[in-house]
Amino acid sequence: MKNIQLTQQDGITKLVFDRPNSSANIFDAATLLETQQAIEAVAADVSNKALIIRSAKSSIFIAGADIPSLSNASPGDLSSLIDLGHQVFNQIADLKIPTVAAIHGACLGGGYEIALACDWRIATEHTSTKIGLPETQLGILPAWGGTTRLSRLLTLPKALPLILAGKTLNTGAAKRKGLIDVAVHPAHLLNVATEFTKKGKRKEVPHTLVHNLASVKMIEATARKDLMNKTRGLYPAPLKALEVACKSVSQPLQAGFKLEKDAIITLASRAETKHLIGLFLESEKAKKQRIQGVDAHKIQSPVVIGSGIMGAGISYWLSSRGYSVLMQDIDNQALAKGMHRIHSQYQQAQVRHIISLTDSHAGMDRIYASSQRVNLMKKDLIIEAAVEALPLKQKIFKDLSQRCREDCILATNTSALPIKSLAESIKNPERVVGLHFFNPVHRMPLVEIVRAPSTSEVTLSTALQFVQKIGKTPVIVKDSPGFLVNRVLVPYLLEACKLFANGMDPMDIDQAMLEFGMPMGPLRLLDEVGLDVGKHVAETLIAAYSDRMSLPPMMESMIEQGCLGRKVGKGFYVYGKEQPEPNPLALQLQKNSGQIPKNSAEFLAELMSNEAARCLDEEIVESAEAIDLAMVLGTGYAPFRGGPLHYADECKLIRPKFFKDAPPIRMAG
Amino acid sequence: MHTKLVIVAGIRTPFTRMSTDLAHLSASDLGKHAVSSLLAHTSLDPEQIDEVIMGCVGQPADSANIARIIALRSGVPERVPASTVNRNCASGIESILSAHQKLLAGMGECFIVGGCESMSNYPLIYRNSAIEHFTELAKARSLKDRLVALSHFRPHDFSPLLGLQLGLSDPVSGLNMGETAEVLARDFELSREEQDAFALRSQERAIAAQADTQQEIAPIYTDGRAVLSDNGLRADSSLEKLSKLQTLFDKKTGSVTAGNASQITDGAVALLVASEAKAAEIGIEPLGYLSGYAVTGCDPKRMGIGPVQAIAAANKKTGQQLSDADVIEINEAFAAQVLAVLKALKDPTFAVKAGLEAPLGEITAEQLNPRGGAIALGHPVGATGARLVLSALKQLQASGRKRALVSVCVGGGQGTALWLER
Repeated sequence: MKNIQLTQQDGITKLVFDRPNSSANIFDAATLLETQQAIEAVAADVSNKALIIRSAKSSIFIAGADIPSLSNASPGDLSSLIDLGHQVFNQIADLKIPTVAAIHGACLGGGYEIALACDWRIATEHTSTKIGLPETQLGILPAWGGTTRLSRLLTLPKALPLILAGKTLNTGAAKRKGLIDVAVHPAHLLNVATEFTKKGKRKEVPHTLVHNLASVKMIEATARKDLMNKTRGLYPAPLKALEVACKSVSQPLQAGFKLEKDAIITLASRAETKHLIGLFLESEKAKKQRIQGVDAHKIQSPVVIGSGIMGAGISYWLSSRGYSVLMQDIDNQALAKGMHRIHSQYQQAQVRHIISLTDSHAGMDRIYASSQRVNLMKKDLIIEAAVEALPLKQKIFKDLSQRCREDCILATNTSALPIKSLAESIKNPERVVGLHFFNPVHRMPLVEIVRAPSTSEVTLSTALQFVQKIGKTPVIVKDSPGFLVNRVLVPYLLEACKLFANGMDPMDIDQAMLEFGMPMGPLRLLDEVGLDVGKHVAETLIAAYSDRMSLPPMMESMIEQGCLGRKVGKGFYVYGKEQPEPNPLALQLQKNSGQIPKNSAEFLAELMSNEAARCLDEEIVESAEAIDLAMVLGTGYAPFRGGPLHYADECKLIRPKFFKDAPPIRMAG
Repeated sequence: MHTKLVIVAGIRTPFTRMSTDLAHLSASDLGKHAVSSLLAHTSLDPEQIDEVIMGCVGQPADSANIARIIALRSGVPERVPASTVNRNCASGIESILSAHQKLLAGMGECFIVGGCESMSNYPLIYRNSAIEHFTELAKARSLKDRLVALSHFRPHDFSPLLGLQLGLSDPVSGLNMGETAEVLARDFELSREEQDAFALRSQERAIAAQADTQQEIAPIYTDGRAVLSDNGLRADSSLEKLSKLQTLFDKKTGSVTAGNASQITDGAVALLVASEAKAAEIGIEPLGYLSGYAVTGCDPKRMGIGPVQAIAAANKKTGQQLSDADVIEINEAFAAQVLAVLKALKDPTFAVKAGLEAPLGEITAEQLNPRGGAIALGHPVGATGARLVLSALKQLQASGRKRALVSVCVGGGQGTALWLER
């Protein structure tokens, strides 16, 4: 057997997954067949008293199903793959001897489903151990028994949040929520697993009280309502998973498995699923991307210039990833505010159990804030996040370039200014690159790496690997006004503003885009960004693309009236009450004469698709897939739609199409 | 063998009065800030460090060997050892001397030294009687036993001892520090007016030198505020105001007040010291080097006179005289105590009282504490000694002069004196 080692000692068989030439274990058809052979061998050998399943990998138990083969499978192939998984996992569940899953490292999807088929689950308290059923995030559902078994193990009210949200948990949370029986130090994993084999078979608890017909109905209705609120019905997978989970609890196991299989075959053919899987694969690719043949420098000592929202956000993120960060600003009050912001973020992370109190203190200790001219000679990366003004940034770059080593990378977090004009202002311009983080830094996974004409391959490669190292997803973009994300977003925001000026109700505009699948309407987004900041970014783009973009006079008037957005309590909306309400002051500025398109969502979405297509034409980003991924990660563009270029295909906006055919999206009912 | 200890660089936190701007930070927070600042400003590779040595007098109960905690929190590698030193008010200097002795013993060539103190966070302590009762309660098993144990508590048990008060008292002589200053005021015939005038001078000099002193300080950003500078200075101080303050330690005939004594303060200092060879390798223009020192003992009741014997011993060792010093920093624990030291050094009659055969000479007003002292800047006991060295060397750097003498009196009856050169 290639993927599995089977050893027996003192009557206990250990089944160890160890995929050759890979740091990960995954389930493909071949591995499942091997598992089946192994289980049959275990069942046949009467001297076996117990079975322990584990992995030989250092940070992965089993990462789940092989996603590319899953997404390319024909319905027939998929059906047999699902059947095979059910068969194998059922054979494990049907073993007469006690079975224990000894989990160390990522135990996701199919990996957790095999663990669910065991009697007992033991996991290590280790940062690499992550447990969960993330299938719905990919538009499918746990279909190798996961939906059925987890509902029976935990009861529906506890299992549904896990299955529907597709969240992965650390060991502590997994223990609290009942996904595992015990959490142990890695050194004790096997000892404790062996102890557990003495407990015998697990006795199934029927949960008849919770799972009677009436209560299941109520649970389903509540969960469905909650799901519709969160997803607006745009994501078929969690809805389907809900249906399967609720139907299967009152039926025999086999019927549950049948429901799972039917559901995944239906879901797999849907465009939403193809898009979500496509985005997943593209983001995996981006996380592993390399500049061929160019070594990257190892970054050890980063500096952040500026302690505003972005500067503090970046400093927090870097320190939380283990880097010691020097945060500089010329303004002492700004530094005080920035440090306070970082402190609150650590406190929040600690309250939300993301990190321990000790780790949050250590994280704070790793940030040193100073307004003084400290020595920069040992620094290897400086990320400038100062106020967006070219002369100021040029001055900062000039000063920095004289204070640090010649090979120290000088990055700017500018969202609008040309990197070229900064590179030109200093000696050794080959080390200048854009690192455009998005706000809020700790939540936005994308970083645009902006390559100026002078940027060297080493600089680019170093920036790329640094972004990957800090757990962000990079997209390399050309140095062109607005780069990618803002360039695609700005025409959409400007036109939304014009629709408002023409008399459209702001709630209607935002509602239309929420229903389209955006996480926030364009006017709310402008309020969050700040109209003044938005205007500043827009102006750079308008200067470059005046043929199709112009500043709505409404925006100017609102800024004049002090309606700058959320930060001052009023913009398109007034804030302070529970729900933001349209700002009467802004409403007064509306003229009710202009044109309003029949379908404003389509109108606005088309603007994004058109601009994204231009970016592809101009080779701002190398592929259509990368553009779509960047828009999803950088703006929250409706993931189920795949991105603005997939949307263009879907609506036949632009010919030729960008992608091979995906089935059209049917709105879930 | 390289035996010369070079003081390469130094930096400190703002010194702030107890219960003010930095009161919410612990002693290790303060020390961490000083060491992080030193590393940031010098860009020293922490791998180069052989040991971290910090002075701290009132080590917090949760920070045993606080130097180790500070080192690790500042990003000093785990393999680098750290130790905490305590010679009461001279602890900050003791860290430097300790580094020098380790250099001589071949135990390292590059040290981070300094001191830290959060006097705001000195604890309240349960009395022994209360501890006995708590122990009895903890041991009680049955409800009856517990009730009995509870009944043994007395109101007195819940009035805690003040850690600060205990720390500033000498159990051997039975006097607190202020009372020892009163002893000196009597012995050396120092009037209240003289002491107040000296206090005013400290304030005035500190204020005049504020911009220069600021060069020693790395601001702290905490709790949403920027703490930029020392806050003990009083621009509105005057003889009239000082004369109105109550005497604290001897209500009827005393002369020591809060105005002519050092302030109770939070703060920390960090210095980078190294052998000559190592300092050359680090490549920063050094502040100066240690050319000799002495530590001596004296009557605990007259601890403030400690510098006299220490200076005499240090002079003897180095062959220097008072007039060789371009700057002399004598810690201002109390105005009375500094004035007593000056008098003992100068005046034959008083020299004998301090145990000298003959006076050593006069310290001029120009030489002494040119940028003010602890009366204006405060006296975070574990950190002060290192501040005096930093300040003396910065003064030499600014004036381009050569020699400085630094001396500190020590609670419990000691004196430390060291000569610095550049």
